[in-house]
Amino acid sequence: MKLQIIKQRSLWWAISGAVVLAGILSMLISVSRPDIRAPLRPGLDFIGGTRLQLERDCTQPGNCDEPIDVAQVRNIMAEQGLAGSSIQVLGEERQALSIRTRDLNTEERTSLQAALTESLGAFDPQRTQIDTVGPTLGRQLFIEGMLALLVAFAGITIYLTFRFQLDYAFFAFVALFHDVFVTLGIFSILGLVIGLEVDSLFIVALLTIIGFSVNDTVVIYDRVREVLQLNPGEHINDAVNDAVNQTLSRSINTTLTTLLPLVAIFFLGGETLKYFALALIIGFIAGSYSSIFVASSLLAWWRERTGKAILAEAVTAESADEPESGT
Amino acid sequence: MGKQRSILALIFVLVIAAITILVRVPTQLGLDLRGGAQLTLQVLTTEEVPEINARVLEAVQRVVEGRVNALGVSESLVQTTGQDQLIIQLPGVNDPAQAERVLGGTAQLEFRSQRPGTEDQFPIEFQILRTLEAQQAELRASGDEQALQENQAEIERRNQAILELFEPVGLTGSNLNDAFAQPLPAGNNWNIIIRFDAQGGDRFAELTKNLAGTGRSIGIFLDDRIISAPIVGVEFAETGIVGGSASITGNFTTQEASDLAVQLRGGALPVPVEVIENRTVGATLGRDSIQRSIYAGLGGLVLVLIFMVVYYRLPGAIADLALTIYALFTLALFNLLGVTLTLPGIAGFILSIGMAVDANVLIFERTREELRTGKSLYRSVEAGFFRAFSSILDGNVTTIIACAALFWLGSGLVRGFALTLGLGVAVSMFTALTCSRTLMLFVLTIPALRKPEWFCPNLPPTAKAATR
Repeated sequence: MKLQIIKQRSLWWAISGAVVLAGILSMLISVSRPDIRAPLRPGLDFIGGTRLQLERDCTQPGNCDEPIDVAQVRNIMAEQGLAGSSIQVLGEERQALSIRTRDLNTEERTSLQAALTESLGAFDPQRTQIDTVGPTLGRQLFIEGMLALLVAFAGITIYLTFRFQLDYAFFAFVALFHDVFVTLGIFSILGLVIGLEVDSLFIVALLTIIGFSVNDTVVIYDRVREVLQLNPGEHINDAVNDAVNQTLSRSINTTLTTLLPLVAIFFLGGETLKYFALALIIGFIAGSYSSIFVASSLLAWWRERTGKAILAEAVTAESADEPESGT
Repeated sequence: MGKQRSILALIFVLVIAAITILVRVPTQLGLDLRGGAQLTLQVLTTEEVPEINARVLEAVQRVVEGRVNALGVSESLVQTTGQDQLIIQLPGVNDPAQAERVLGGTAQLEFRSQRPGTEDQFPIEFQILRTLEAQQAELRASGDEQALQENQAEIERRNQAILELFEPVGLTGSNLNDAFAQPLPAGNNWNIIIRFDAQGGDRFAELTKNLAGTGRSIGIFLDDRIISAPIVGVEFAETGIVGGSASITGNFTTQEASDLAVQLRGGALPVPVEVIENRTVGATLGRDSIQRSIYAGLGGLVLVLIFMVVYYRLPGAIADLALTIYALFTLALFNLLGVTLTLPGIAGFILSIGMAVDANVLIFERTREELRTGKSLYRSVEAGFFRAFSSILDGNVTTIIACAALFWLGSGLVRGFALTLGLGVAVSMFTALTCSRTLMLFVLTIPALRKPEWFCPNLPPTAKAATR
């Protein structure tokens, strides 16, 4: 099997464009929705609030005879002046409760817990989870995360410019941006469809995707550079085609081996890591796709457009204004 | 081949060392995995203290540490973060409400006057309290939670009883300007110098005048707990101690004196703190979460190991061995450096295994290409490692750049993830280029294993002939 990267490039670009566009559309819808007002549905970590996860203590007799009644919980919340909070009953036996509300101080939370215990029965403190994040800390976490993203972007671009050339680095950057945008877009869509929220782990996931995506692109670029060095007269389109095909089984195998543990965590792992794993799965697939189909074909297109399609002829002119690639 | 033998011996020694570390040094688990509460306190400014500097933050930290110890939690941790925040970790605490209440208020320093008629009772109570506190320190070291809490309750009762023996005179921390430790001219003893504001100076003079020569003491209380009970000499009976300054003498060591000074400064500084973050995970919930994720991750990894052998044959098996060594080294390094393993940290570790696999995949694909062009086995393997190197280096460096950005700019869980992924990638460079390589070259010295089809299935017959 030999992939025709260059010939079918408009197809590859169209697929990427469609996915990114769908994401942008979803982000625009999210921004205009009064209950979200951001491109992605922000979680507790970024806007502050309290999440209370409780599970009934089923070792006590008669405590778990009936599933938890959402209407009853809603009434208690209203009595506490917390109407409009999101309430979910979880677990196969419907014995666990997840409440998301504005950020509560100690007294408010204690009185809420007491009221819930009184009407629903005792909860198991060993299975309780409480997350309270103040609004200032939320903003701080968000800014820290964004800053980390920007610094990582800049650092990677600078490194690649040194190791390769500016145009390689630029298109690796485009591929990166593509992967991050695809992940953001799909999570925005999930936010609209199933109400999925993003937390600080999502920023961690984005940064990991960047690292992985660049890794993939670098391996292919490395091979393009090598092919060009071995055959200085070869047309860039052929060189890119060869390079991608030579590294194809490596790209597929690496993506596969990285995805195996992630897919296992997504389906079988703890709740906390489920959507973290999902973000990585989406990002890594986008990363492999963009390295194989987008970053390489864009590089060839650019070299062709700027008249540097055949390296042997361009060498003298190039060395005047651009640093030579390291060997 | 002597060089490879010695590298093999080195790897063997390192593996033994790693296993020893894993057995001897316990893995530190984050609160999200073993259960407990983590609180973040924001130190707030006031009109009197418009800026939070290191000194203020240290004073607040000291007061908070004192309060955390009073909660009777073993292995608790208080750390400053950023310019004006504190992170408090309380493992095993399921009800953070109490912790929040105790930690949230401002440290209150108060000077009280011992009530007449309690001269005999007070020294006995004070002695009992000191004994209980000494026991508390021993219990904390032993880790007996129940005894610890019972003893703590007893300490609280004694403190309350002592508090009743003193009456308030309206002299509190808000009247303090400063407190610092000073060595005494003779011996190794230290005392603490305190400075009052004008109003405080007057009240202190009044208080000392009333108590001088009576044998009753000044009770110095921090958060209603007695920290010192000095007695005023008879020579001050006329005027009291004037000048707005006093020294607290006792058998203080350097450390104790400076600790107390810091506590007093903290108590003297009316800086309110606010709980801005509280994350509490029940112990069982944490355990479930870790087990499920670890089993899932391990299951995925086993599939990866099987895939490597099926697809890459003999090199795949060698890579599996190298990956196992990699996992041992990395986990041992985590324990050795005291890296706290959180859920994202485990994710970082699993990902770093993915990166380690990638290095091996790159090398083997190269080796196969070389074999297909008809090179000998030994030269193909050598070339595989040599030519894959620049790709491995570039890929790993970019990942480390991302990790560095996360580590410096992130906090909490994000940092844990960055650290484990970064360390993992660094170790994987070593194992891929040293362990895999040495093992491969070693295998090639065994004639029975030198079969090209074990390295690359479906090798074209022409190339196969050439490799022999």
